[in-house]
Amino acid sequence: MEPTSAAGGAGEEQLDNQPGNSSQKGAHKHGHELEEEQEELAEHQPLEQEDLNFEKWKRKPLPKRTLYQTIASVKTYLWNAETKEFMGRTGKSWSLILLFYSVLYLFLAAMFGGCMCCLMWSISPYHPTFNDRVMPPGMTMAPHLDAHEIVFNASDRKSWKKYARSMDEYLKPYNDGVQERKNIHCSQEKYFMQDHLEETLERKACQFKRSWLGECSGLQDPHYGYSLGKPCVFLRMNRILGYLPGQGKAINVTCGVKKGNPEALGEVEFFPKSLFDLKYYPYYGKLRHVNYSAPVVAVRFAGVQYDAHIYVKCKLNGKGIINDSPTDRYLGAVSFTLDIGA
Amino acid sequence: MFEMDGDGKGKKSKKEKKKERLEGMKKEMDIDDHEITIEELEMRYDTSIKKGLTSSFASQVLERDGPNALRPPKGTPEYVKFARQLAGGLQCLMWVAASICFIAFGIELARGNLASFDNLYLAITLISVVVVTGCFGYYQEFKSTNIIASFKNLVPQQALVIRDGQKNQINAVDLVVGDLVEIKGGDGVPADIRIIFAQGCKVDNSSLTGESEPQSKTPECTHENPLETRNIAFFSTTCLEGVANGIVINTGDRTIIGRIASLASGVGNEKTPIAIEIEHFVDIIASLAIAFGFTFFVVAMFIGYEFLEAMIFFMAIVVAYVPEGLLATVTVCLSLTAKRLARKNCVVKNLEAVETLGSTSVICSDKTGTLTQNRMTVAHLWFDNHVHAADTTEDQSGQSFDQSSETWRALARIAGLCNRAVFRPDQEGLPVPRRLVVGDASETALLKFTELTIGNIMVYRDRFNKVVEVPFNSTNKFQLSVHELEDPMDLRYLLVMKGAPERILERCSTILIKGQELSMDEHLKESFQTAQMDLGGLGERVLGFCYVYLNEKEFPRGYKFDSDEMNFTTSDLCFAGLISMIDPPRATVPDAVMKCRTAGIRVVMVTGDHPITARAIAANVGIISEGSETVEDIAIRKRIPVEQVNKSDARACVINGGQLKDMSSEDLDEALRSHPEMVFARTSPQQKLIIVESCQRLGSIVAVTGDGVNDSPALKKADIGIAMGIAGSDAAKNAADMILLDDNFASIVTGVEQGRLIFDNLKKSIAYTLTKNIPELTPYLIYITVSVPLPLGCITILFIELATDIYPSVSLAYEKAESDIMNLKPRNPRRDRLVNEALAAYSYFQIGAIQSFAGFTDYFSAMAQEGWYPLMCVGLRAHWENVHLQDMQDSYGQEWTFGQRLYQQYTCYTVFFVSIEICQISDVLIRKTRRLSVFQQGFFRNKVLVSAIVFQLLLGNLLCYCPGMPNIFNFMPIRVQWWFIPVPYGILIFVYDEIRKLGVRRNPGSWWDKELYY
Repeated sequence: MEPTSAAGGAGEEQLDNQPGNSSQKGAHKHGHELEEEQEELAEHQPLEQEDLNFEKWKRKPLPKRTLYQTIASVKTYLWNAETKEFMGRTGKSWSLILLFYSVLYLFLAAMFGGCMCCLMWSISPYHPTFNDRVMPPGMTMAPHLDAHEIVFNASDRKSWKKYARSMDEYLKPYNDGVQERKNIHCSQEKYFMQDHLEETLERKACQFKRSWLGECSGLQDPHYGYSLGKPCVFLRMNRILGYLPGQGKAINVTCGVKKGNPEALGEVEFFPKSLFDLKYYPYYGKLRHVNYSAPVVAVRFAGVQYDAHIYVKCKLNGKGIINDSPTDRYLGAVSFTLDIGA
Repeated sequence: MFEMDGDGKGKKSKKEKKKERLEGMKKEMDIDDHEITIEELEMRYDTSIKKGLTSSFASQVLERDGPNALRPPKGTPEYVKFARQLAGGLQCLMWVAASICFIAFGIELARGNLASFDNLYLAITLISVVVVTGCFGYYQEFKSTNIIASFKNLVPQQALVIRDGQKNQINAVDLVVGDLVEIKGGDGVPADIRIIFAQGCKVDNSSLTGESEPQSKTPECTHENPLETRNIAFFSTTCLEGVANGIVINTGDRTIIGRIASLASGVGNEKTPIAIEIEHFVDIIASLAIAFGFTFFVVAMFIGYEFLEAMIFFMAIVVAYVPEGLLATVTVCLSLTAKRLARKNCVVKNLEAVETLGSTSVICSDKTGTLTQNRMTVAHLWFDNHVHAADTTEDQSGQSFDQSSETWRALARIAGLCNRAVFRPDQEGLPVPRRLVVGDASETALLKFTELTIGNIMVYRDRFNKVVEVPFNSTNKFQLSVHELEDPMDLRYLLVMKGAPERILERCSTILIKGQELSMDEHLKESFQTAQMDLGGLGERVLGFCYVYLNEKEFPRGYKFDSDEMNFTTSDLCFAGLISMIDPPRATVPDAVMKCRTAGIRVVMVTGDHPITARAIAANVGIISEGSETVEDIAIRKRIPVEQVNKSDARACVINGGQLKDMSSEDLDEALRSHPEMVFARTSPQQKLIIVESCQRLGSIVAVTGDGVNDSPALKKADIGIAMGIAGSDAAKNAADMILLDDNFASIVTGVEQGRLIFDNLKKSIAYTLTKNIPELTPYLIYITVSVPLPLGCITILFIELATDIYPSVSLAYEKAESDIMNLKPRNPRRDRLVNEALAAYSYFQIGAIQSFAGFTDYFSAMAQEGWYPLMCVGLRAHWENVHLQDMQDSYGQEWTFGQRLYQQYTCYTVFFVSIEICQISDVLIRKTRRLSVFQQGFFRNKVLVSAIVFQLLLGNLLCYCPGMPNIFNFMPIRVQWWFIPVPYGILIFVYDEIRKLGVRRNPGSWWDKELYY
């Protein structure tokens, strides 16, 4: 290996030798004297113990500021009396920057507003641009349940009163008087198409009378069968604008036991029948179809086994209907438990 | 733990502990092996100075003491390193967010609401994000430490050991205490050795003490300090010449160098500037996130949300506001640059050091090996009354001098014969300058020089049979040898001599000029003096050469020459010429120093060498520029005493160790301030530290180069320590942040350039990354305050942060510099922050705001087209999120189940996501430049960036349209037209930024420039 050091023994000493020469020019002599002196001072310094203490050479951390100093610096930042600066900016600076941002944001807001105007202008108030998210229809029921269960004792009025009240509320728009006043009587067995009418005109709606619900109408039995232990529930299909359910064949409704003994449910009655008639479709939107009354199917559980926990599922059946979605249990079906005591 | 107490008692015990440790260290250093007699030594180690150890005993000791190797410094345990990656500032925030999710999920579960697993998914995602980024960071760290580990696999050192009375060549690793070893010139000393026999043994201790002078080793104890005494040779030093025998007294980590190395490794690394920058920035982000989150938590509680919901808002805001991908981006950018640097022979140990190099404003460079080639080379010759320049280039590509003169032949013959250096065997294939030589530096230089000029010198020497030789000693200051002549008929002997020019001249009466022997007259002496002074002034080591043919009658064949008596003619010789040598600067260095100068970096030379040599090299490479004068130069020119010179007139200054010793730190600061060109000569390792400290006091970011163990404190102290890969000791490499594989100063300049580029590019990258935090945050703010259905989900945010936007932000690291960054001053670490106010304000409140508007435009469009008018959305939240509401009416009277609304909400997430993506494409394009127009920079020049945009779009499409996404990651297949709604905003971003850049370019220094240039 070549020696790392450039200064071999021989040469070094020859350099040392130079000052000894007497015939040097004055200027150089000065330099050489200096050099000789340096030579002496720079005599080799052994490593000392202390030098090996590397901790010493670590950079000292900045002294921690006291709380007082911190508060003081925050104060100066907030209001520097000397330069009249609030948060590092003078009044002029603040007004300039605020002006800049207000202009920028005004412009952006205008652009956003413009975009929203264009959007609303491009959207028809009568029918949505797309309805793929709301399809296929969901199904809802009355009474409105928070915990998917109907639990009551037929003899205990209190236990079913809330259901009855909910049903009352539900059926109010279907009172015969209201229906007769607002809607027309339809008798056809096909879709009630009104597309040929002018776009802005109000569409007519078919009657759906409460009285058609028979024992579940609440007219004969204001307790909807709850006091008898033969409860009614109402089912309705979600409204979708322009939707023609069942592709010409009416959607029907079935109810059954989801799991457990299918006998426990006993006889199930439907009013007026287990179908959603085609004449109630399509729906033309709340702007034009103001008095639209969605058809209701009332279900009466006339022979339910008492004191049993029965899982019931009512679902729509028909073309284009999904009633077994794993993610949405209200898509084309409702399910609840029945637990009736005597 | 003591910091916790804070009381007097705690402090005291801390001090005591420290003192104890120091004492302990001192005790360890107490070696008396050099003071005891050899008999005692034999007793102590159960050995014999004749037969050495027995093999069986040696293996026992080896088992007891372990191998004779420096154990790599004990690093932090791996699990601690990993844990550290998981416990950063941002990571902690993420842990908090994840635990909030868990709590929320737990409460929901306890309430029996099994419907929403969202919180659980989110918590798991958050944790995996932390873990994955942690693994990534850990892997990066692991890889960079591995690079270092590879340095340790050097060729195993061999040692000649005598065991059972027999000489064996064994691996130095297997040496044990008590072994009898033999070392000779050229060997490394394999352990700490007490010398018991030595013959002309000289050892280069520079790796230990930094002294460049070889020290002779003798069996006598000359000093009580083990470091000073002559009878101990230390591990890792090199034996230059001679032979020696000795007993091993310490092995492995117990050697002096082992102790120093372990001490140096114990010193924790300082935080690099970029680490400080990022920490500073992370602190701000984290506190802003918490402040924001807390404010909205309070607001939410005030508005009347449940505690749990408010907590979830808090968590969501934290997730939205924290740039999760930032740390990964920064690490990747830095490691890309580190890789690029490694290709250029700079290995970066500490990733962040890459950037530090960019902000360096002072380089304290060693001379030997870094600026110079680290080999003595013949630079000038003086013969025939003329100075001739020799070729000093590394590859012998330079011009040579006229070799036709008879005098040259005589001079070359002396140089070739009067030389004890020899090439190591088996190196015929290597070019001459690279061959290894046994011998001291000047003899080596002469050997190589003659080999190059007159051919195979070994054969040449054989032709002139050597009869006697007087080696160099300090009293004579010359070296001579007597040879038989090549021509067998010529029975004269030839005496050749070389040595200190004056001593040689004294012995000469004639001088060879153009092949003719002329008598030495005053005129010739004068010109000899001038030549010698001139060469000496260049910092070169000058040797004189002379010869004489010995009288055949006086010294017939077989005459007994005696080297001690010197019973032969040694005066009235014939002077042949002078040869001067220097360790020449590397070819690339002057250019590199010039580049540093234009880049505003000061190069300070700190060397242990002689001031004149140091100055000459400094002038040669441009550290002292042409026309710069020192105080002394001015004094000589003006013919006034040094004291009267105005110090500020002198640009250059050469300070030597002796002067430095007498200077106070203020004096040194003043000197560094007033003289831009500084050379420190004859400095000790301690002084190197003082110089570094002084530079740092003046506010500079200091890079220090070094190779010896003694340099390791300075390397630690420096903001960036640069060790030499070839000449550097392990201790220096351990202490350094960066290693120059080729020991070349020019590589540092490359490093600086890359460092500056990465700073600029990191700025762009961070600006890009930060921008999207605003469009991620605003959905929540609007959601909480205006109660619209949630426009953007947490998981979607994580996808933006960690999937689609990572590649584009990394691609900005490949961006070319906008201008010649090496013409700018180094950044001021206090003023030019990585993330400054302008950057944050521009990204957050301008580009980020535009992106938010884009997102909301797209969101409201998607809602309106599906049946929910914008105004209806306001205040919709409570009903929208009601799980029991299955027939919620939209603007058209259509009834929606909860599940349908949820999918609609996911559609909104996706639409918002797409808007951010489209705007981010525009964003990455504008971030290519900070000042120039993108058209000037070129759209497609950064190929990586183009592919990143393509990647981003493809990934976006995959997320949207891959089946199964809705239920796993809440992405819905959205309608094609929703991709185009944010496009106008993207164009706006681009145009707006071009206007900004135009303003910045046109009106430098204006209000516009100050507020909008980041």
